[in-house]
Amino acid sequence: MSDLAPLLVALPVFGSVVALLAGLARDRVGWAVAVLTLVVQTAVAGTLMADVLGSEAIRYVVGGFTVPIGIELVVDGLSATIALLVAVVSLGVLAYARRAGPRSNAFYVIYLLLVAGLSGMSITGDIFNMYVFLEITGLTAYALVASGDGGRSAIAGLKYLLVGTVGASLFLLGIGFAYIATGTLNMGDLATQLAEVGYGSPLVLAAFGLLVVGLFVKIAVFPLHTWQPAAYAGAPDSVSAFISALVSTVAAYALIRIVFTVFGTEFLAATPLASTVLAAGAVVSIVVGSLLAVSQSELKRMLAYSSVSQFGLIVGAVAVGNVVALTGAAIHLVGHAIMKGGLFLAVGLVNDVTGARTVDEYAGLAKRSPVGAAAFSVLAVAMVGVPPAVGFVGKWYIALGAVEAGAWPLVVVIFASTLLTLAYFARVVERIYFRDSTETSGLAPTATDGGEDDAPEPVVSVGMRATVVAAAVVAVALGAVAAGYGDLLEPTIEGLLS
Amino acid sequence: MTEIISLRPLLAVLVSAVAVAPILASRGRPNLREAWTILAAVTKFGLVASMVPAVLAGDVYVTDLGAFVPGVNFALEADALGLLFGLLASLLWVVTSFYSMGYMRGLDEDHQTRYFASFAGSVSAAIGIAFAGNLLVLFVFYELLTVATYPLVTHDQTTEARAAGRKYLTYTFGGGVAVLAGTVLVYVLAGTTTFTPGGIADLATTDPTLASAAFGLLILGFGVKAALMPLHSWLPDAMVAPTPVSGLLHAVAVVKSGVFGIARVTLDVFGPDAVADLGLGIALAFVAAATLLISSVIALRQDNLKRRLAFSTVSQLSYIVLGVAVGVSVAPDRAAAYALAGGLLHIPAHAFMKLTLFFCAGAIHVETHTDDISDMAGIGRRMPLTMTAFGVASLGMAGIPLIAGFVSKYFILVGTVSSGQLLFTGALLISGVLNIAYFWPVVYTAFFESPDDGNSKPLLESPFGGDRDVATDGGHEAEHGEHGHGDGWTTAGWRGGESTWLMVAPILFAAAGSVVLGIVPDAAVFLQIVRAVVEGVTGVVL
Amino acid sequence: MTGLEALADRLYYLAAFLLLGIGTYTLIGSQNLVKKVIGMNVFQTGIFLFFIAAAFITGASPPLLTAPAPYVSPLPHVLILTAIVVGVSLTAVALGLIVRIYDEYGTLNEETLREVQADE
Repeated sequence: MSDLAPLLVALPVFGSVVALLAGLARDRVGWAVAVLTLVVQTAVAGTLMADVLGSEAIRYVVGGFTVPIGIELVVDGLSATIALLVAVVSLGVLAYARRAGPRSNAFYVIYLLLVAGLSGMSITGDIFNMYVFLEITGLTAYALVASGDGGRSAIAGLKYLLVGTVGASLFLLGIGFAYIATGTLNMGDLATQLAEVGYGSPLVLAAFGLLVVGLFVKIAVFPLHTWQPAAYAGAPDSVSAFISALVSTVAAYALIRIVFTVFGTEFLAATPLASTVLAAGAVVSIVVGSLLAVSQSELKRMLAYSSVSQFGLIVGAVAVGNVVALTGAAIHLVGHAIMKGGLFLAVGLVNDVTGARTVDEYAGLAKRSPVGAAAFSVLAVAMVGVPPAVGFVGKWYIALGAVEAGAWPLVVVIFASTLLTLAYFARVVERIYFRDSTETSGLAPTATDGGEDDAPEPVVSVGMRATVVAAAVVAVALGAVAAGYGDLLEPTIEGLLS
Repeated sequence: MTEIISLRPLLAVLVSAVAVAPILASRGRPNLREAWTILAAVTKFGLVASMVPAVLAGDVYVTDLGAFVPGVNFALEADALGLLFGLLASLLWVVTSFYSMGYMRGLDEDHQTRYFASFAGSVSAAIGIAFAGNLLVLFVFYELLTVATYPLVTHDQTTEARAAGRKYLTYTFGGGVAVLAGTVLVYVLAGTTTFTPGGIADLATTDPTLASAAFGLLILGFGVKAALMPLHSWLPDAMVAPTPVSGLLHAVAVVKSGVFGIARVTLDVFGPDAVADLGLGIALAFVAAATLLISSVIALRQDNLKRRLAFSTVSQLSYIVLGVAVGVSVAPDRAAAYALAGGLLHIPAHAFMKLTLFFCAGAIHVETHTDDISDMAGIGRRMPLTMTAFGVASLGMAGIPLIAGFVSKYFILVGTVSSGQLLFTGALLISGVLNIAYFWPVVYTAFFESPDDGNSKPLLESPFGGDRDVATDGGHEAEHGEHGHGDGWTTAGWRGGESTWLMVAPILFAAAGSVVLGIVPDAAVFLQIVRAVVEGVTGVVL
Repeated sequence: MTGLEALADRLYYLAAFLLLGIGTYTLIGSQNLVKKVIGMNVFQTGIFLFFIAAAFITGASPPLLTAPAPYVSPLPHVLILTAIVVGVSLTAVALGLIVRIYDEYGTLNEETLREVQADE
């Protein structure tokens, strides 16, 4: 079974090449190739997940070079979860993107490469390899963000590229320090070697600081989030959904790996400053992200700041660093991906139906786009953390973990985050249902760029509606199975923390 | 006590939630839509009522759906206390459903489908609260109740309604956060949140400081919906909702869910002993006593009938909290049992009376578009049955014998006197006087004044001389002005000509309920349930 | 070891960090998008040199089989080869985007672009 692991990376790369070549011969073949690839990808990820949940991790050595020299792929419960999430979400977004576009072959080529990068980050056991996948993810994400029409998305893409590259470079620098200190790049090996070097060593501390800050940029923790609102708002709707659901999520997963697999709980115990920095990042992100979200008028920017706030919760769980909190982080990563991706898709759907993009234009939306409005509201309520939706379960675990650890300031902020989240979602939901539209006729669809090429407005397809509704249903339904999943994940997390 | 594994609690919760779908689906056919509501309401009541005999015999119905989060199962449990609330809410939902039809059609309201769907959802959540088997499940339904009632508060879609809705969400979700925080603390301290008669073992002893914090958070959280001062201010604002909502939800289901939560926390989570040990019961009683006095005073000054009723609700809810708080903060003897029984019995007693009052206010609004007391002079002639019911219920509120309010208040009084808490006795008596002071003017105005001299006693808050252009319902005034403010009310007979029977019958039913509870409390099943609860907690047989 | 010696010993690191500083400054301080990209390149180059310097062992020969042992560590060289490839692709994407932006707005000044965007 361990031979399946490299397929997670190889499949999308292969699919991407096929899409590229087939695109030379025929137009519009990209979508079919992508779907085919991702269906297989989902099956592979699902099989791996079934194999490793609750049992031993799968290890695969690439190219026959022995560890620690060679590159190792490690699939445990956590990485399998993320890999499956990546596969499922990317497949779901495809159903939406078929009609909503972008429809060029190049889009699907890059799309599959991004899936490869994300899957690679999820399963690699080598820190430099992680950097390479981080950059593949970054490069393709920049390109996708810029794939929208017009200058706005290009500027957003460039801004994302500049900030993202600095983040990745800092990550690389951190790898350099860790390498100088230990002479190894394998995560498992690093863990033992770092302990031998001593956690007080300046090299080790610098490595930790740089790796974490680099990932903070990628996760978009305040104040390193500056690329994110522009990128999410400037990208085409399908891309915003995809990126918001997965890119920061996988970066947050990488943070968990770096902090616990590479450095470990003993490092955190020996270096109180490390936990403090993480906790401070979490608190600031949760609070400031929400406050900024409240002040946004454009829906997609609001959702972007909401991500800043929600990932604060995850970072908070990492700062707490016990079994319960990390289980919560895993659940919230999955839950947030579904909810946020769904929200972006719902916003896209609404935009295609009515042209509404700002909070004020959502007034009376329930009449104009009932499906989009209902899905948005359900997902918003789930995100606020109303039980039994998955948003609540993740928060419950994280809060419980924080209380067990006695991290009181964090506890207060985690509970307050419910109200903060409510603050920016309630005003939208209120407008959707309890305010009449100011204009009698539907708004003219406004292209993001001021529209020099007026392509015929894509009609909303069944696939688009179905994806949005499915996201809402899954967000609620996952809440019921989250506890069972948490139990299965426990051995993995315990292994991570020992 | 035996546990009966049964799906009945679950079904009782789900019936109305399931009904939301057909209600939404039959949006184009009002009669079919309302038929679904009635069907769901009657089925629900039947299911809940079917559990009464066994529960009175000491059994508990349990539905366990397995783990929700580790260590906490999604368990529903119909015990005596839960059944008290569940039976009340489901019975009054039947009544309110009929009344809603009369009210909503009488006013030709928009968004009636949304209204009936949300109503069904709210009642589901309320029954979920009643039958929750542990604190976390209770929290789940507590939050869902907030979500389901929000559309009802904001129903009118006016600026005022939206502001009230926002306030409602902020307050109740804030309370929800406190409940969640308290639940987490309880779980961390005790390793479980399951309701245990007499309290979860070791909860208070492990870490008294944290336990006190947990208790404080839980009371704070439930106190929001129980409208304990200073957390009450959402309730008067929420009166912009249609009157059946104010009646069933903001006098019965929602606010009682807060009170019920407080009762659960004190009786089944911490338990009387622990609450007494931590010294928190008396503190709670003081808050309740202060609330019932202050809000009674504020009620005196409200000219808008529904707002006056709202402050009356704030006050009456604190009777319940006071009864429970006194009941758990003194030694578990007969005195405690009396106070507790009084507090719990006031849940149904107040529900019947306040529902009557709100139904009357709604009927007046539908028929005459009058909302302010100063405009109601002589309205007794126009709506004799309604105003008589109103009079009966107000007398009950004030604690006049033969009506429900007397029995419960008598129990609380006996409890406070015999446990030596004379301060609270005093507060209760003063509040009783205030109750008369703010209800009597309404009855007096309605029956013994005529519109001509109606303006002679302008209230401080009311527009001078009852200038109707500034009245809150100025919009309606123009079209319905000919209803006879100028020439006096048209006289309606005593046989229901004053309104549709869809509204009059529920009013009479609710009023009759308050009288039955007052005259033959032993025959009414609620007192028997209360006895079962009290016996379970204190061991005293009343 | 005197301070001067310590400095001389770490001269390569110093140079690498100077490049990091210069790169960061250009990236943040410059208004011109192309210059920002150049700053990014300088920044990355600093990191590359940092890795190469880390691999150096006094008296060792390059990691070639024809050269006599001891060798300097070959691994960082390999890593940096990969990183350079990544860096080149990033530069290519960035310049591609800049061309698009210039076509669209006719300017590469960040401040001007912000104003133009605000007007949209």
